[in-house]
Amino acid sequence: MGDTLNKVKITTAFEGKPNARALKTYVDNGGYTALKKAFSMQPAQIIDEVKAAGLRGRGGAGFPTGMKWGFVPKDDKGPKYIVCNNDEGEPGTFKDRYIAECNPHMLIEGMIIAGFAIGANKGYIYTRFEFFEEIRWLEIAIKEAYDAGFLGDNILGSGFKFHLDHYTGAGAYICGEETGLLSSLEGKKGQPKLKPPFPAVSGYLHRPTVVNNTETLATVPFIINNGAAAHKAIGTEKSPGTKLFCISGRVKRPGVYELPLGYPFEKLLNEDAGGMLPGYTLKACIPGGSSAPILTPEELKGLTLDYEAITAKGSMLGSGAIMIIDNTMSMVELLKVTVDFYHHESCGQCTPCREGTGWLANIMGGIAAGEGKKDDIERMNEISARMGGRTICALSDAAAMPTMSIVKKFGAEIADYIERGIRA
Amino acid sequence: MHDHHKPNTKSEPAPAFTPALRKKIEGYLTRYETKRSAILPALHAIQDELGWIADEHVEILDKDYGLHRVQVREVLTFYTAYRQKKPAKNPIMFCNNIVCCMLGANEVIDKIKGHIKKYEERGMEAPFSVEGVPCLCVCDGAPAMIVNKDRHLKVTKDNVDEILERYAELPR
Repeated sequence: MGDTLNKVKITTAFEGKPNARALKTYVDNGGYTALKKAFSMQPAQIIDEVKAAGLRGRGGAGFPTGMKWGFVPKDDKGPKYIVCNNDEGEPGTFKDRYIAECNPHMLIEGMIIAGFAIGANKGYIYTRFEFFEEIRWLEIAIKEAYDAGFLGDNILGSGFKFHLDHYTGAGAYICGEETGLLSSLEGKKGQPKLKPPFPAVSGYLHRPTVVNNTETLATVPFIINNGAAAHKAIGTEKSPGTKLFCISGRVKRPGVYELPLGYPFEKLLNEDAGGMLPGYTLKACIPGGSSAPILTPEELKGLTLDYEAITAKGSMLGSGAIMIIDNTMSMVELLKVTVDFYHHESCGQCTPCREGTGWLANIMGGIAAGEGKKDDIERMNEISARMGGRTICALSDAAAMPTMSIVKKFGAEIADYIERGIRA
Repeated sequence: MHDHHKPNTKSEPAPAFTPALRKKIEGYLTRYETKRSAILPALHAIQDELGWIADEHVEILDKDYGLHRVQVREVLTFYTAYRQKKPAKNPIMFCNNIVCCMLGANEVIDKIKGHIKKYEERGMEAPFSVEGVPCLCVCDGAPAMIVNKDRHLKVTKDNVDEILERYAELPR
C-alpha cells in the first residue's frame, strides 16, 4: 500500500520553474537521464519495470501500460510506431495541455523510452488543433531534442534510431479514441476500427503501434529513473502513482492538481481547491470527464480518488476531470449539453450510437424547450440501455452512461420540468 | 451540422494558392509515411493562408498533388475545423460544454450574436462570427473562447466587449 497523501510531483515537477519548457531547464534538473539509463537496459526489462510499476493509462480507460507494450510482437522487424494521444477532448479535462505547457521534454523522453522498449523507430504526437500555443511549444521542444541529439538516427551513440513528429487534428472528439486517432493520422476520417486486431498488432498503416496518453508517457522517465518500487510507493495498491486531477466549476481555485491516487475527494475540493465559492453549494460531481456517471453529494462522502473506489460508486476515474456542479445548474441543461455533445461527436458508423445519441438529443431538446412528454424519462432509459456494448468504440456507452445516471439520480428534477413545462 | 460546413453559397472567388502555400503542401507530401496523411495538414495550411477551403482548392490538391478529391472531401466534411466558405474576419469559437455553460457561456454567446445582428442591421459586414463548440479543455478558465487563434479565458458578459474591441470596433 502506497502513500495516498504525500504530494510527490512527477509530471508537474517543473510547474512554476522559470523557462520550465526549455530543454536546458529539463536537462539541468535531471532530464534525459532516464533515457541514458534505459539504453543500458534490455527492452524487455523496461517493459517489465513499467508493468511492475503498475502504471495505468491516464487517458481514461486505465489499461495497464506495460501490458499494452508487451502486446507488441517482439519478433516483428518493424516498422513499429509509438503514438502519443494528446488529443485532449473529454469535457472537463485540461491536464495534457498542462504537460505541453510545463515540460514537453518529459513527454518526449517518455516516448523515446517507449519506442526503445517496443522497438519503434518513429513516433507521433497527435494534438487537437485548438491547442494552437501548445502545438507550437511541442514543435519547439521536438526541434530542441533533435538539435541536442536526443532524437535522430543514433541517439547518444546508442545505435538506437528514433524520429518524432507532430500531427495536428482537426476538431473531432472521436480522434481521442485510439483507433479513431490512427485513422486520422493516416489522413482519413477519424472513424474507429474494430478490435481485434488491437493497434499493438495492427495499428497505424496496419503496423504494430502503441497509443498512449500524454500523461502516461510523461510518467515513464520517473519510473525508469527511480524504479518500479518508487512508483508503487505512491498511491494505492491497485492504483499506484500520481494522477493529474482537473477540478473545475465554482470552486475557489480551479486547476490541475497532481495528487497521489487514492487521495480523498473532500480534501481536494475543500483544501487544495479551496472549497465552493461563497453562496454556492455542491449539487453533484462528475468525477472523470463527461462520460463518467454523475455522483451525488451523499456518494461523494468519504470517496477516495482511485480507479477502484470510484468504480465501486458506479462511476469512473476516467481522465481525472472533476467537474463540480453547483446549485445554479439545472440537470435538464446539464443532460442536454451532454447528449448534444455526444450526438455532435458521434462518427456515424454504428447505428446505436448515431441514432441513439440523436434520439437522446431530440428528447432533451424537447424537455429543455418546455415541451417534454410524460414518458420521456422512461424512453431515455430504454434508448440508453440499448446503446451500450453494441458499437465499434465506447462513444455510445460514453453517452448512455451519464444519461442513465443523471436520469436515475436527478429524475425527479427532470420530471418536474416536464410536468410544469419549464424552459431550461 | 455546423454552418461553416455548408458549401460556399456567396460565390466568393476562391483565393489562389501562393508560392509559400505550395511549398508547404509539397513538404507535407513527403513528410509522412503515406501521401494521404498530407491531407489534414494541407487543408490546415490552405485555411491558415487563405481563410477557407473552396471547391477549387480541392481540385488543385487532386490535380497538382495527387491527393484524391474523394479522400480530400471526406476529410474536409468530417472534421469541424475546416471551413467551406469565407469566414468572418474574426471567427469566434465559444465553448458551450458543461462547465462553460454552467458559468454563463450562453449569455455571452447571445451577447456576441446581438452585436453581429447590429452590424447586419446597419448593412455592415460583421467582423465577427460565433459558434458554440465542444469543450476546449481549459475548464479552469471557463467560460472560454478562441478568437482567430487567440484563447481567452473567464469571458463574461461584462468583459466580452472589451476583448472584442481589441479585434474590431463594436457597433454603438
